[in-house]
Amino acid sequence: MSDQRTTRPLAGIRVADFTWVWAGPFCTLQLAHLGAEVIRVESASRTCVTRLLPPWPDGQPGVNRSGYFNQYNQGKRSIALDLKDAQGMQVARDLIRQSDIVVENFAAGVFERMGLGYSVCRELKSDVILISMSGYGASGPESEYVSYGPAQVPMSGLSSLTGYRGWRPMHIGISYGDPTAGLQGAVAVLAALIHRRKTGEGQFIDLSQWESTMALLPEGILAQSMAGSAPERDGNHDALWAPHAIYRCAGDDRWVSIAAADDDEWRRLASVVDPALASDPRFATAALRKQNEDALDAAIGAWCATRTAEQTRDILQAAGVAAYPVMTAKDLHDDPHLGSRRYFVDLPHPEVGTRRHMGIPYKLHRTPLAVWRAAPCLGEDTDYVLREVLGYDEEHVAALRDAGTLS
Amino acid sequence: MLQTSSNGRDALAGIRVIECGDFVAPSFAAKQLADLGADVIKIETPGHGDTARRRGPYAGEPDPERSGFYLYLNTNKRGIAVDLQRREGHEILARLARDADLIIHNVAPDEIAAQGLDDATLRAANPRLVVTSISPFGLDGPNRDLRMHDINLWAGGGAASLNGGGPGSDDMPPLKGFGHQAGFQAGLNAAVAALGAVYGALISGEGQLVEVSMQECITSILEMAYEFYPYMGLVASRLGHKPIQPLDFLECKDGWIFICCVEEHQWQRFVDLAGNPEWASMELFENRIARAANWDALQIFLGEYAAERTVDELYHAAQARRIPFAPVSTMGDLLSSEHLKVRGFFVTIDDGAGGDVVMPGAPYVHATTPWRIRKRAPRLGEDTDSVLADLGYDAATRERLRAAGVIA
Repeated sequence: MSDQRTTRPLAGIRVADFTWVWAGPFCTLQLAHLGAEVIRVESASRTCVTRLLPPWPDGQPGVNRSGYFNQYNQGKRSIALDLKDAQGMQVARDLIRQSDIVVENFAAGVFERMGLGYSVCRELKSDVILISMSGYGASGPESEYVSYGPAQVPMSGLSSLTGYRGWRPMHIGISYGDPTAGLQGAVAVLAALIHRRKTGEGQFIDLSQWESTMALLPEGILAQSMAGSAPERDGNHDALWAPHAIYRCAGDDRWVSIAAADDDEWRRLASVVDPALASDPRFATAALRKQNEDALDAAIGAWCATRTAEQTRDILQAAGVAAYPVMTAKDLHDDPHLGSRRYFVDLPHPEVGTRRHMGIPYKLHRTPLAVWRAAPCLGEDTDYVLREVLGYDEEHVAALRDAGTLS
Repeated sequence: MLQTSSNGRDALAGIRVIECGDFVAPSFAAKQLADLGADVIKIETPGHGDTARRRGPYAGEPDPERSGFYLYLNTNKRGIAVDLQRREGHEILARLARDADLIIHNVAPDEIAAQGLDDATLRAANPRLVVTSISPFGLDGPNRDLRMHDINLWAGGGAASLNGGGPGSDDMPPLKGFGHQAGFQAGLNAAVAALGAVYGALISGEGQLVEVSMQECITSILEMAYEFYPYMGLVASRLGHKPIQPLDFLECKDGWIFICCVEEHQWQRFVDLAGNPEWASMELFENRIARAANWDALQIFLGEYAAERTVDELYHAAQARRIPFAPVSTMGDLLSSEHLKVRGFFVTIDDGAGGDVVMPGAPYVHATTPWRIRKRAPRLGEDTDSVLADLGYDAATRERLRAAGVIA
């Protein structure tokens, strides 16, 4: 079949994908990238949140028109199924019977109450791997609390560490816990798959989005547990390295990031910006640069202010200094480097046409990965799944359709 | 033959991983595998060792053997010190690679061959080997050899453009998230891609080169912000008002809370929780878009409400009504959370010098093959002797290599 990428590592692995919003879909996106057949179980009555969010072409909403959904569900299939209906549940169980991996990210306990917990999945497929990706994990006094992506950032501790010096806690601009949990979930599933390959054993995996995000904050958590106090919020500064900041450049809201990790990098930076800085005793060592960071930032900031972010990058990189513009979406879209790497994916979609999407940030050289098609329209693969995957005959499919189960 | 250190109750038992390079990305990539039972041998530079050894935090005086960041990033690994700039170092790496499933490194693309990491050579001696290269911009393209630190990648991938500034402070710079998040994201992606390739090699017997671009790792998580441009011609901005509210921070009696009412029913339940105050029925706040447009005013009412309550009080009361508020957790809050205690999230590890370190534990719990700590992070070169002996280097040879500074 045209869609089977037979050489990719997960070719032949099927995923029953009950996820929604971003964390779960980001996990199954990785599995789709690696070649698994990912089948999203969706329903028109309980539409994935991201299908209802912008951006939409021409500002016209539509369940198949969201750039948010279409970004994170590339290369997956979709079956429309009413899970409130007993026949719909039967189809879901049949799908699990034909799947290697089941992924869900409801609040803890919901999947079980739907009648699809691990014990049920295991009866349907003895070596199945089920991962539950709830906000708080499957156990503990707050396990059934509701978790939203934007709230995971403060919940994890990231906000209390992020912000300008002396200011209140801040966000980081994206629902960071979601992709982090999605990637952690993919690691957990792949390890379980390797274990299954060796032993024939499947298993249940309990992932907490909260915990999988805290795993990325050891610098804050260990400062508290080892030294008794958390780091103060300090903007873009680093605890040891200076300069380490984002400076305004010429133009409208244009900025460049600059960092020097050691004396060599500092000397190269100073020699370009102002040779007098290189011999300025206030900046002679890392500790002194840190101590006199405001003066340091002022000197570098003044130099950047008269140049574009791109000029700043080019001049400093030529001298071996880490400097790079703050890229906007448009900058990325038009970026020659990303273009030359064919990072972006431009695939036709029946309702939004060919739009540019972010692609796969890793490459496998012997078994190349590629997004084989755009994100599915709601229920686009219902027939394929029922006929080809589950082996239902025409009559069976027609009966389900007439009963309204397939919507 | 190399001795292995895990057993069959670990998901990745029997998978051998060699890690080299420096700092967060390769360390975190390999840590995830080590914590699931892979046998990871970390190669550090004699004398200096990994940068994380010099980052702290420290319980007392700075000590490269007791840096918290290092101790966290290198749990369950063995450590050897080998100079990969030297020919004899390449030979040690080549012998290790013969018996390995995976190498993970972040050696700069123009240094890969000089450090003995040419994947074709290594795979010729061991066809099932997967070599995973992490680099700022990938292995080709015009930016390949640019120098980048974590902040540059956060900015260069597009994430910094989405945060900082806001109403009344639009002159403030784009703001990075705390820590080394580009390194962590690259480590996550590298673990995903490497495990995918290792699984493929278990089936086909053939390994391959895997490359991870750190910039692309960041660009891939811009949520809907990137798509606004190709879909609508709009460039997402960190400046100005948010599109919907409340989705913001409020100061309580004893700390900060994040209030989050995305759906109308959540707002209505919150208004009910607040005792249906008069301001809640003002037209200015009739829906989430109006609440965003008039956030300056709403913020004052909500601020007064929050200021009279504790974070815990408001958090649990909201959650009891299915409103997804969250505390703005301090590090102390996390370490004392009853929920995390019941789940056993934090683990205590000895630092190898008589101290205990409390650190984040399992990010996921496998029911059959649980994430677990088998050993603390290695001291610099702690396992050099035993690993080289396993590779066939006799005591005299090891002594000579040590004297020549090839190993430590």
